[in-house]
Amino acid sequence: MRRGVAKKIFTYVFVILAAIWAIFPFYWTLTTSFKSKADVFKPVFVPFIQFEPTLENWINEVKLRGDVILLGLRNSIIASLTSAMLCVILGGMAGYALARFRFEKWKNRDIITWFFSLRFLPPIAVAIPFFLIFMNLGLIDNVISLILAYTVFFMPFSTLILRDIFKGIPIELEESALVDGCSRIGIFRRITLPLAAPGLVAAFIICFAFAWNEFLFALILTYRNATTIPVVIAGAEHSQGVDFWYICTRSIIAITPPVVLATIVQRWLVAGLTLGAVRGTR
Amino acid sequence: MPKEERIKYFFLLPAVVLILSFLIFPLVYSLYLSITDWQIGKAPEITGFSNYLKAITDKRVHNALSFTLLFMIFTISIETPFALGVAILSQSRFLGNTIFRIIFTAPFFTSPIALSYLSITIFYEEGGPLNNILKLLFNIKVPWISNPNYAFLSLCLIDIWQWTPFLYIIFLAGLESLPREPYEAATIDGASGFQAFRYVTIPLLMPVIITGVLLKMIESLKVFDIIYALTGGGPGIATESYTMYIYKTGFRFFRLGYAAALSYILLIMLMILFTFLAFRLRRVYYE
Repeated sequence: MRRGVAKKIFTYVFVILAAIWAIFPFYWTLTTSFKSKADVFKPVFVPFIQFEPTLENWINEVKLRGDVILLGLRNSIIASLTSAMLCVILGGMAGYALARFRFEKWKNRDIITWFFSLRFLPPIAVAIPFFLIFMNLGLIDNVISLILAYTVFFMPFSTLILRDIFKGIPIELEESALVDGCSRIGIFRRITLPLAAPGLVAAFIICFAFAWNEFLFALILTYRNATTIPVVIAGAEHSQGVDFWYICTRSIIAITPPVVLATIVQRWLVAGLTLGAVRGTR
Repeated sequence: MPKEERIKYFFLLPAVVLILSFLIFPLVYSLYLSITDWQIGKAPEITGFSNYLKAITDKRVHNALSFTLLFMIFTISIETPFALGVAILSQSRFLGNTIFRIIFTAPFFTSPIALSYLSITIFYEEGGPLNNILKLLFNIKVPWISNPNYAFLSLCLIDIWQWTPFLYIIFLAGLESLPREPYEAATIDGASGFQAFRYVTIPLLMPVIITGVLLKMIESLKVFDIIYALTGGGPGIATESYTMYIYKTGFRFFRLGYAAALSYILLIMLMILFTFLAFRLRRVYYE
């Protein structure tokens, strides 16, 4: 009995420490964004008690650099939403094909391995040809080039995870509809898609988060009009050292959307991150 | 072609065609670039394998490769036991279990660039919060970014913060899918908690651990964002990862042919890792 209690205490202490470790940077960012310039360098952590929070940084940020941030936000949202949407639609179709049909010439497993290998393609390997190709197409510093790059780059991921999701839907439902005279596309639209909806949303959110956080392509393919939020943050260095407060306000803008969205997809993360290689309890 | 045949291609081909034209074609184009001496503002000339030969003797390639390998080994050897420990503890029932999972997975979804700039503020040497605390406690000042060894450590800390959740999610799923019977048998045989962990959990979980580590190794080979933002590869070239060196070669020195050759060398290394991974996952994928 006493050992059980000791174990429980150990678990709580360890878990609380791990939670503090995970949450401290978020907390530090949020509080620093409300600190006055004098308080930033002091080892103070608790607002109202140790320092007086101020809205000054946020007001200055909106006043002085609001345009750049809004532009970055707009580009980030357009590029991430559009590419995630294309990934789920086209990747979903391909995933469905691989889950439900048999391919003969190149077998399903060959096509799957091909997608799987592309999932691990290093971005730098395509960054150089991307730059030259998009330069020739006149699409440098254009959101279209980012949308294209993100869509093809995250498509293997969405195809594989959606194949996994479609495989988890009982085939009997589709078969009985087929007997009743539904067309294949009709079945896909009216039976499979609604059943797969939560998985589709999860795949969409993960693709969105990947695209939102992507940096290398955005750095190479954009410089002024199509810059995304990560590039805006990276360009915010000033000659007189690091402006802590602005880094913090901007980082909150960059971090919040994917982190908040990720809380929704918790139960899909395992399948998402290992592409079905490790099965979790659903 | 029968209708069923046409429909399956209707589903598959859009994705494949898009990938072929915007991912495979660039890769092939890059292979061509890698055998030229292409620089911006100069007509390219085919030079055969000379880029690849140059890479073998390039000191900065050696430096970047050894940094990347060291970084990979150091981070993974801390992340794996950390993630495993948290996974095992958070598997037991306790208050706030679900909330803890959400909190502990949040770092993985943080923008690496935002995170690195935040780290600049946290690791700031003149009066940053970390040095403030260390000064208060031990009266020391740590050169987190300006000293090569500490810069390495700072980058590792960021990576550990961001990627431990990744392994944690995988290990937790692995733990939850383990069968109950071996544990019951071990308890009947009088095994202690630690013995059960050492002789039942670890061997059963081994395939999952190896898969997670392989996935993380592949990701480590690509490390770029945090280095670009925190150290820029410095001081000097002490923290220049392989991807960072390719980036500089291509987009700072504008030697695109050489950069393409370097990235093909990276592709070969990744292919070797991928072969191991594909071999492990054959069972899962080829049912």
